[in-house]
Amino acid sequence: MLHRAMALVRGQKLITPTHLRDIYGYRDLILRLAWSDFKLRYKNSILGFFWSLLEPLLMLLVLYVVFSHLMKIQVEHYQLFLLLGIILWNFLDRGTSMGIFGIVGKPALVQKVYFPRDVLIISACTTALMMTALEFIVFVAFMAVFGVAPTAAVLYFPLIFALLFVLVYGLSLALSALNVYFRDVQFIWRVILQAGFFATPILYPITIFPADLQRVVMANPMARIITTSRDSVLYGAAPAAGDLAYVALAAVVILLAGYLIFDHFEPGFAEEI
Amino acid sequence: MASDRGVEVEGLSKTFRIPHEKRATVFETLAGALRKNEYEVFNVLEDVTFSVTEGECVGIIGDNGSGKSTLLKVIANILRPTKGRVAVRGRMTPFLELGVGFQPDLTVRENVGMYATIMGLSNGMIRDRIEDVIEFAGLGRFEDAKLKNLSSGMQVRLAFSTAIQTDPDILLIDEVLAVGDMEFQQKCFEVFKRYRREGVTILFVSHDLGAVRRFCDKALLLSHGRQVAFGETGDIIDRYVYGGEGRDRPEGARTEGGGSGATGEEVVAAQPEAPPIEEAAAKPRRWGDGRVVIAEVELLDKFGARGERFSSFDPMTVRIRYYAKERVADPIFGIALYDDMGRHLYGTNTELKDHPIESVQGEGKVDLQVARIPMLAGKFFLTVAAHTRDGKPYDWLDKQYSFEVVPAGRDAGIIEVPCRWARE
Repeated sequence: MLHRAMALVRGQKLITPTHLRDIYGYRDLILRLAWSDFKLRYKNSILGFFWSLLEPLLMLLVLYVVFSHLMKIQVEHYQLFLLLGIILWNFLDRGTSMGIFGIVGKPALVQKVYFPRDVLIISACTTALMMTALEFIVFVAFMAVFGVAPTAAVLYFPLIFALLFVLVYGLSLALSALNVYFRDVQFIWRVILQAGFFATPILYPITIFPADLQRVVMANPMARIITTSRDSVLYGAAPAAGDLAYVALAAVVILLAGYLIFDHFEPGFAEEI
Repeated sequence: MASDRGVEVEGLSKTFRIPHEKRATVFETLAGALRKNEYEVFNVLEDVTFSVTEGECVGIIGDNGSGKSTLLKVIANILRPTKGRVAVRGRMTPFLELGVGFQPDLTVRENVGMYATIMGLSNGMIRDRIEDVIEFAGLGRFEDAKLKNLSSGMQVRLAFSTAIQTDPDILLIDEVLAVGDMEFQQKCFEVFKRYRREGVTILFVSHDLGAVRRFCDKALLLSHGRQVAFGETGDIIDRYVYGGEGRDRPEGARTEGGGSGATGEEVVAAQPEAPPIEEAAAKPRRWGDGRVVIAEVELLDKFGARGERFSSFDPMTVRIRYYAKERVADPIFGIALYDDMGRHLYGTNTELKDHPIESVQGEGKVDLQVARIPMLAGKFFLTVAAHTRDGKPYDWLDKQYSFEVVPAGRDAGIIEVPCRWARE
């Protein structure tokens, strides 16, 4: 049952075990919302689905030509190195971009019915996850084509990706709530994403920087997520415990901050939207 | 958990703050940070307290803008109270709008799944019932059509047949019945009756006083966000219709005048209200030789109070106060009734009703007692006249008085025909 008979006294906070259990009760709704958005994005057509894959692949091709031939970046399996980086960054980009419209993009669901509003944000992130899953299918095919076999270290990857999901969800919570009150948050966030794409070691290995600058770049959790993912998937190296701990801490802090911001603004959503 | 289901509202207030200058962006907020942004405070609900126990049906009535819908949204947890407390015990389904979350680009089947999930049905229940839902909406042939290709009537039917699959403990209904044709409304009523029989607690916002009277055990009357009364439906509707409570007084509403103390001259000078019907301006609205003057006409409700709104099937008295300076023998008092299109519906007078008046002199009154208002709904105009037996007017006030009839039942049309059904 989606709703459960329970005493509901208004004004409860969202970060409680009870709330997490409630959210679990809404899993049918989360999946259905995510799935219908996913379908709508591809206009229900197989072709739409291929078009959506074409975009990252074309981008990959351009970046590959530019960086491996013109700029002479010497990296083992540069195609896969680049593709994995792009896919992970795309997940952040898509998850937050869809999450940011999670509330303002669904006025009817906010103003005419009630369910915990974070359901909308989880479902937006889940749609992004579905799209990323498709890209991973292509990635696995590429790995086979280039003859790169994963080692046992690849088992770390689901953990890293789960942390990335938490991070994206936390960001989306904060952004979606802020976007209800300040409609230019969406534009500001796009600029930040653009800058972030180049400030994160996606196109280049972190080793191109001198050691002290590396530390600055690696303060960005995305940088650590991408480098540790590459290590575990492509290079058969287990990620350093310090890196994992840093990413986990960042994800949890962002999730909590996201919930605090969401919590703060949530009561006014239906009025402000 | 709590054993008895229901809704409790305690000291509930809801205030909207409308800023003079809307700051919707970070930029505007930063730019305006130094200036004080003032707010217009708008109290939508003020100190509303009532409780609904399990299985009760409560109607929420009041004029537009009285806060009915806001109250429902606060109970539904969509809006949050500014002050006070709302406690809801039991599974609640709001019917604030039909077809919430419908996606025009998805198929009928997908939309049913989506909407049913939003309304709180589990996947298993949806699988079991989806065929019935589509069949009930009469869309069996269209289940794989995109929703946008259906007519709006079909979409409403689909939304409705999906929504009624929920089995809530508490149902919130906001004017859902206002959409759709007669047949659809009939279907809605059937379903709400079923919910009532099943003991579902219902909160029902409506302008249809007939529906409220029929369905609700209790009613809550709101006026400008304040709770005017809460209690037994019949009493509350009477207060709304007759009490003038919870209603905005129409412009130029009649107020109690000097009445009986007026002399003939004064009365003639004090013309009645503006013409009720546009064209009437061209025609004279009052004529006669003034030997008998109609000083005042009062429309009295079943409580003997003056009013302009009456419930269908209720009694009503038309009290005509007259004044005759000199003795006038054998006057006839009459009325004529018109609808808002100016069609003559009915007319009678003291002669036709065989109630001869030997003579009048000075002040006096004559009542026309209507035992049961037969009109179902609408605005009506009244002509009141005093004239001689051969029709020469003493004082003729043409369509100078008006009143409104609000429905008490669900019969269709303009007037009630006294009748009953029998079989074998």
